[in-house]
Amino acid sequence: MKNTLIKTERLSKSFSSGGAMQHVLKNIDLELYKGDFTVIMGASGAGKSTLLYALSGMDTPTLGKITFGERVISDLDSDGLALFRKEHCGFVFQQIYLIDTMSILDNVLAAGLLVNKDKKALAARARELFKAVDIPEETIHKFPTQISGGEAQRAGIVRALINSPEILFADEPTGALNSKSGLDVLDTLTEFNEQGQSVVMVTHDMRSARRGNRILYIKDGVVMGECDLGKYAPNDEERHKKLSDFLTKMGW
Amino acid sequence: MFNRNILLARANVRKAKGQTAAIVVLVLLSSMMMNIWLMLSMDYRKNFDRCHDRLNDGHVNLAAYVVGDDFKDFISDTLDERDDVTDYTVSSAFCAPFSYEYNGGELSQLGVILKKEDALFRNVGRFEITEESDIKSGIYLPMLYGMGNNYAAGDTLKITILGEEFEYAICGFFNSAMVGSHNCNMMSFLMTEDKFEEFSEETAALKSAYVSVRIKDVSRCEDISAELKDTISKEFPEVVVTGNDYKMVSTSRYISQMICAGILSVMAFLVLLIGVVVISSNIANYIQENMQNLGALKAVGYTGGQLIAALIMQFSGISAIAAAAGIAVSYCVFPGVNEMMIAQTGIPYTVRLQPLPIVFTVIFITGVVSAAVYFSAKRIKKIEPITAMRQGIATHNFKKNHVQLEKTSLPLNAALAMKTMFGGLKQNVTVCVTMLVISLILVFSVTSARNTIVDIKPMIEMIAGEFADSAINVNLGREDELVSVLEEDSRVEKFYLFTNNSMEIQHVGGTTLYVSVVDDCSKMNNQSMAVEGRYPKYGNEFALAAKYAKENGIKIGDEVSLKVGNSQEKYIVSGFTQCSNSLGKDCIMIREGYEKLSALLNVTYYIDLAEGTDIDGFNSDISDIFGSDVNAAQNVLSIIESTGGVYVMLMTFLVIAIVIISCIVIIFVMYLLVRTMLNNKKRDYGILKALGFTTGQLIMQTAMSFMPSIIISSAVGIAVSMRILNPLMAVFLSGIGVVKGTFIIPAELCVIAGIALVIFAFGAACLMSLRIRKIAPRELLSGE
Repeated sequence: MKNTLIKTERLSKSFSSGGAMQHVLKNIDLELYKGDFTVIMGASGAGKSTLLYALSGMDTPTLGKITFGERVISDLDSDGLALFRKEHCGFVFQQIYLIDTMSILDNVLAAGLLVNKDKKALAARARELFKAVDIPEETIHKFPTQISGGEAQRAGIVRALINSPEILFADEPTGALNSKSGLDVLDTLTEFNEQGQSVVMVTHDMRSARRGNRILYIKDGVVMGECDLGKYAPNDEERHKKLSDFLTKMGW
Repeated sequence: MFNRNILLARANVRKAKGQTAAIVVLVLLSSMMMNIWLMLSMDYRKNFDRCHDRLNDGHVNLAAYVVGDDFKDFISDTLDERDDVTDYTVSSAFCAPFSYEYNGGELSQLGVILKKEDALFRNVGRFEITEESDIKSGIYLPMLYGMGNNYAAGDTLKITILGEEFEYAICGFFNSAMVGSHNCNMMSFLMTEDKFEEFSEETAALKSAYVSVRIKDVSRCEDISAELKDTISKEFPEVVVTGNDYKMVSTSRYISQMICAGILSVMAFLVLLIGVVVISSNIANYIQENMQNLGALKAVGYTGGQLIAALIMQFSGISAIAAAAGIAVSYCVFPGVNEMMIAQTGIPYTVRLQPLPIVFTVIFITGVVSAAVYFSAKRIKKIEPITAMRQGIATHNFKKNHVQLEKTSLPLNAALAMKTMFGGLKQNVTVCVTMLVISLILVFSVTSARNTIVDIKPMIEMIAGEFADSAINVNLGREDELVSVLEEDSRVEKFYLFTNNSMEIQHVGGTTLYVSVVDDCSKMNNQSMAVEGRYPKYGNEFALAAKYAKENGIKIGDEVSLKVGNSQEKYIVSGFTQCSNSLGKDCIMIREGYEKLSALLNVTYYIDLAEGTDIDGFNSDISDIFGSDVNAAQNVLSIIESTGGVYVMLMTFLVIAIVIISCIVIIFVMYLLVRTMLNNKKRDYGILKALGFTTGQLIMQTAMSFMPSIIISSAVGIAVSMRILNPLMAVFLSGIGVVKGTFIIPAELCVIAGIALVIFAFGAACLMSLRIRKIAPRELLSGE
């Protein structure tokens, strides 16, 4: 029996565009489970990023309810959502978004000190995470523009994990990287997921999607289907076949 | 090409409407103050000349009182013989020290009473009626007294002349350039023929002559005045002659105009300086933000010069429009300023369009802004299109990671604020310049409020000399009796001789000086009047006005010849004094010293009374005892209140205006800085929001990032301003004889004001940072 981490009920999101309402998410009922590596796939404009915003508390839904554990987050104001994100979520962005005027370590500590005031313990944890993502000590004192994109994205993952979030949201985390760096980042995410970290990732890339154990396919604002890859080993050919069949079925 | 530049400029303005609006406000304020300053300095001052010419008034005016019938012939012959005199008029008059109510207090003044019917038709020194009632018998007052809540036609004027009280119905008001205000050393009243005859019978002893003289070379008015007085005193040693001259009156009637113009000019330049710093900072940011666009424009064929020209066009265009708007606002504000000025000058001024100040203001402001834009944008020439289009020019200094979060003991938000601060050199320079300027303005405002509005005594001490609670003038014969009465009166705390009833003394080889005769200078209340050296102690010493001494190269210890009539003595300069009453042409002697030259005809004693004593009651008691031997019994505090009222009103207006303008400047500068920061760091704010920073935390971080610069520059500004304010005041007021500022600098108030300034700036920064609310973290996420 899986523990539900996030639950949505009739989740809808609409935008006003040129005087007309555009319904991006339509009555989505969804449950995300603890420990899962959930991948949200879909064509451009399907609503997958909008769903990620809503699930992560980056944005509020137009209608419907989002529950995180026992707590309803869809009613929170912007500051309430900020506190929620700080305490429960980690984020990895496609464009990485480290702050250029801070060293890599400071980028991580800025997020960590929001939750943990024990600087020593925090710095130790940051170094542990940097080590885990293969970023050496001398690099963590550099500025974001002085390191490679892959290193920067792995530093982004460290920042996302510094507060030991209950869930890590990754929005196209390999989108701005070359294939080697992208692979390293996916390995890192997989590694943390294997250690129990819940991950929700939006991607276009089937190679990235294979890392997930649960694939959601979204089209025109509706979750069209899902595919459970949990029982297959990471390098199992069957895993790829099943995902491929699922995506074909979804019209990918 | 010109059209292309206009298109670029328009595009820039559209992109930065907020910044444009803020720059418009700063330039508008500066041009408003600059135009008012120029109007006051140029045309307003000329208004005196226009009035003087219209009334064909004298450049030298003499009031010779207690004169015989042969005086008129003598003075006419004397003036006829002089080549430097072009015209003159001699009129019968009555001269004496008068006192009357003004501005809620009592004003004492040397008055010249003329017959209205004669005065209106004098060839030189004509009077003009500005307001007339149906009352046909009574007195006409200078129009100055018909303003505010003072007198109106139909009221009764109670006037005390040599201790005797008279009452006259006020028939109306008149204008006179040289004797139309109590700032002219002597002031005139006009009586209708019947009242003049009646007064003539009652006070025959006051029969005098009023002489108005026009001369060829106005710059010699002081010398000619001194020569004429000397000639008269040689021929008529018993005749007391006093008077004024063009230089003295044209300056003293415009003291408030001078103060107001001085303050406005400084404010205009300071606000323009802030505007220029803000524009420079804005351009630096523009280049940073638009590096790729600038590269692209260069790539398609724009030259660096064209891009700079577009910026110059943009900012000079905005500045010219803002300057024009400021000038328009100045014309809306000017009638109010004019009202206040007239309350002091007493000369009506009609507000009219003045092209010269307008042209100067627009050209100067546009020129300064264009130059600032050119120098700030010069580096556009060095931008290589390819470099700019690829990545722009690196603007961050990566050499040092300021405020390392691992090591700092600061709380997180403060540490992040400090990081932002260290990353923003331009922002810090703008903040520092603004706060230094505002600090100076603030210290000036607080000090002015303390020394004029709250308690006018320090200002009086600095510009008007000695003061006490009461001043009693009695004929010399009753002096000993007065001293006995004062010694025995329990209400009297201190008294001393301080006789200065427009008594004059001639500096041999120089000009006429007004002299104050004191028995013991150590008893004087205003010890700060001696700005260098000391007051005289011995009969062979005197203290000389510092301004006059400086102009004539006289030093402390020098021996100077002085004379009254035919008596001449040498005196050693014991010290320098300052006092604006005679525009820096006065001196102080002890009685023994003065009596070597001339006997005192009457004596004035300055008296300090016990706290809570009714000064008017005390004066009345003394007048009752000495009757007609009391020439004047003045409530000095009341005089200070009445004459100082105009300055208090002016300073109140200026201080309020300065504080409001300072607040507006701070708000707009903070708006520009915060907005620029939000534009530059929008992505960072989004990231921090996504990480869980609340809007409140980010607002605090933003506002706190300005605080070190604000606090340090305010503290330095306040400390430096407190030290330089008095020297600055001396520079400002040097024209009226002040060589050393003696304002009390209220350190505690300045510190409190500084703290208030910092809090206000912090509040403004917080308020302007509210825009952070609109930055949504979702904007960071990739599109679908």
